Amino acid sequence: MVLFYFILSAFLFSVGLAIVITRKNAIFVLIGIELMLNAANLNFVAMSKSITLDGQFFALFVIVVAAAETAVGLAMVLKVFNYFKTVELDKINELKG
Amino acid sequence: MELTVTSEESWLSIIMLGLPLVSAIFALLISGRLKVIVGWLTSALMLASTAIAVVILIRVWTSAAIYNHLGWFDFAGLAFDIGFYIDPPAALLLVIVCLVSFLVHLFSIEYMKEDDGFIRYFTFLGLFTFSMIGIVIADNLLIIFMFWELVGFCSYLLIGHWYKKESAVKASKKAFLVNRIGDVGFMIGLAICWSQFQTFDIAQLKTEFSALAPMSIPSVLLTVLGISLFTGAIGKSAQFPLQVWLPDAMEGPTPVSALIHAATMVAAGVYFVFRLYFMMSPDALTIIAIMGSITAFMGAVAAMTQHDIKKVLAFSTISQLGYMIMALGVGAKNGALFLLYTHAFFKAGLFLAAGAIIHSLHKAIHDDKYDVQDMRTMGGLRKTMPVTFMAYLICSLSLIGIPLFSGFLSKEIILIEVLQAALSRGGIYIGISILAFLSVTLTAYYVSRQLLLIFFDTYRGKNETDIHENSILIKTVLIILSVLSIGVVWSLNPFSMESSWVMLKLGIPESSLPHSWTMIMSLSLIIIGLLYSYSRYRPASKHVKNYHNSSPSQNSLAALSFNNWYLDSIYNEVIINPFLKIVEVISKVERIVIDRLVDLSGIFTVVFSNVVGWIDRAIVDGIVNGSVYVVGKAGVITKSISGSKAQSYIILAVIGILIIIFLVL
Repeated sequence: MVLFYFILSAFLFSVGLAIVITRKNAIFVLIGIELMLNAANLNFVAMSKSITLDGQFFALFVIVVAAAETAVGLAMVLKVFNYFKTVELDKINELKG
Repeated sequence: MELTVTSEESWLSIIMLGLPLVSAIFALLISGRLKVIVGWLTSALMLASTAIAVVILIRVWTSAAIYNHLGWFDFAGLAFDIGFYIDPPAALLLVIVCLVSFLVHLFSIEYMKEDDGFIRYFTFLGLFTFSMIGIVIADNLLIIFMFWELVGFCSYLLIGHWYKKESAVKASKKAFLVNRIGDVGFMIGLAICWSQFQTFDIAQLKTEFSALAPMSIPSVLLTVLGISLFTGAIGKSAQFPLQVWLPDAMEGPTPVSALIHAATMVAAGVYFVFRLYFMMSPDALTIIAIMGSITAFMGAVAAMTQHDIKKVLAFSTISQLGYMIMALGVGAKNGALFLLYTHAFFKAGLFLAAGAIIHSLHKAIHDDKYDVQDMRTMGGLRKTMPVTFMAYLICSLSLIGIPLFSGFLSKEIILIEVLQAALSRGGIYIGISILAFLSVTLTAYYVSRQLLLIFFDTYRGKNETDIHENSILIKTVLIILSVLSIGVVWSLNPFSMESSWVMLKLGIPESSLPHSWTMIMSLSLIIIGLLYSYSRYRPASKHVKNYHNSSPSQNSLAALSFNNWYLDSIYNEVIINPFLKIVEVISKVERIVIDRLVDLSGIFTVVFSNVVGWIDRAIVDGIVNGSVYVVGKAGVITKSISGSKAQSYIILAVIGILIIIFLVL
C-alpha cells in the first residue's frame, strides 16, 4: 500500500518540477517549489506509518521552514516587482540596482 | 602680615590716612537723595583728618619724626616694606593738604549743589585726598609711585567730571597721557635705583648715599637716576616741556582746580624732589634749575594775555611751580618748600575766589552759550562782590610778592639763593637768575592786569543787577584762605623770612648777601610790572577799550604768549602729526603689502584646491569609475553567453541529478 503513497509523491514532485521549469512567473515558480516540498513531506509521512513517528515530526519542521521560505520569497518578489515592474523571470537579468 | 604699630602717633597717622578713604566710601554708599548730607559728612571727616594732622604736626615739631614700617611681602629673598616717615616738612604739608581739602569740600557743597555728579565728585575728592596724604607720608619709592599714580588717576577723573563736554574729555585724556610720559621717567628711575641699591626704602637709600664711596657708581648713572626721577616731577608738576596739560585741566570744576591743580597734586612733584634731594647729583640739580627757570618764565609770559580767568591762574601756577623747581635746583630746597606751603593757600584762595565769581555770574546769567569765565565781560565786580574782591586782592598781593604777605617771605628766600648762586657759580646760573627776576616783573604784570580786568572799571557783561555776593559758606572759605596768605601767620616779623617759624625749623640758608639787595631789586621789578599793567589796563584807557570790544589784533609777541609759546601746535607738528603719518604709512603698508599677501595666498589656495579637486574628480574617481565600468561590461559580456535562463539551468541540474542517480544505483 505504501507504493501508492510513493506514486502520488512522485507525481506531485514531477508536477512541481514541471511548474518550476516551464512557468515564467516567479510566483508560480514559488508554488512549484512548494509542491515539490510537499511531495517530500508525503514521503516522510508515508514512511512513518509503518516504521516510527520520526517522519511525521520531520514533516512538521519542513512545513515550518517552507512557510518561512515562502515569506522571504514573496517579499523578494514584491521588491523585484517594485523595481522592474514585472515578475517575469526572463526579463530580470540585471543585478545592478 | 603682622601689624606692629607701636606708638600713638603711628595710629594717628593711619587714622588720618584712612579718614579720607572712609569719606570716599561713605559718599559712594549714601544714595543720591541725601546729597547735602554727603557734602557735610565728608567735610566733617576731612576736618577730623585736619585736626589729627595738626596734632601730628605739633608732636613732630616738638619731638622726633614719626617713623614706622613693617614687612609687606617677601619675594625671592627680598623684603618689601610698607611704612611711613613723617618729619616736620611732611607734617606741615599734611596739615596743608588736609586743610585745603577740607575747605574745598566746604566750598564744593555750595558750588556743586546743582550738579548731577555730586556724589561722584565727593567720592573722587576723598579718594584724591587719601592718595595725596599717601604720597606725603610714604617712606618707600614704590609706595610713593603707587599713590603717585592714584592722584594722577583722580586728577583724570575730576578733570573729566563733566564728561558730556567734549573739551573736558579731551583735557582729561591729555592730562593723563602727558603724565604718563613723566611716569615712564619715574619708572626708569625706580629701575636704576633697584639695580644699584636693591632697595626702595628712602631711609636706607639715604644711609647708602651718605656712605657711598666716590666712584663706586659712575657719576653719570647717578645723574641719570636723578633726572629720571625728576622726569616724574616734570610730568606731575607741569614743568617744561610737559606743562601743556595744566591749562587744559581747567576744564574740571573750579574747586578741583584749586585743590589738585594749584595746591596739592602739582606740588607733589616739588615735594618728591625735595624728599629725594640727597639723590640728586650736582649735574642733575643744574638741569633741574634750568628746567625750573624756563618753566617759570614761560608760564609767566603765557599768563600775560589770557582772556579766561582760570587760564591766567593755571599759567601762574605753572610759573610758580617753575619757581619751586628752580629753587630746588639752585640749592634753596627749604625755600622751595616754603613757597610750596604759602602757594598752596594763596593759589587755592585765588582759584576758589575765581570759582565764586564764576558761580555767581552763572547764577545771574542763565545762558549756556555765554562764557562766564571771560575776563573781557567782567569788570567792576568789587562793588557787587566785596568779600570776594578782598580775598582775591590779598591772595594776588601774596602771589606778586608784596611785603606783609606770605608770598613775599617765600620768594625772598628763593631770590636770595638764586642771586647767590649766580654770583658764586656764574655761567648758566646767571641766565637762571635773570629769568627768575624777569618772572617777578611778569607776575606783577599779569596779576594786576587780572585784578584790573575783573574788579575795576565798570561791568561789561549782562544782567548786572542779578549779580550778588555768594553765600556765607563760600565767603568763610575765602576769608580763611586769605587770612592764611597774610605774612604774620607765617612769620612774626613779616618783613623778614628769618623770623619765620617754618624756616627756623627747616633751616635758614646761609647767605653772605644782605637781604636788602634782593628786596629792593624785587620790589622795584614788581613796581615796574605794576606800573606797566596800570598804564595799559587802567579803567577807561584806550587800550582797554580796544581790548574789550573785539579780539584785538595781536602782535606776534602777544600771540606767542596767548598760545602758550605755541607748545600745543609744536607738539602737534613735531610729535602727533608725524606719529599719525607713521601710523598712516603703516596702515597703508598693511593694506597694500600684508593684505595683498593674504589675498594672494587666499587666491592661490583657491586655485590650488580647484586643481586638486579636478585631479580628484578626473583621475582618482576616473580610475575607480573606469574599473567599475570595465567589470560591469565584463559582467554583461559573460552574462550574455548564458543570460536569463535560470529555468534551463534547473532542467540541466535535474537531468544531471537523474543521471547521477541512475549511475549510482
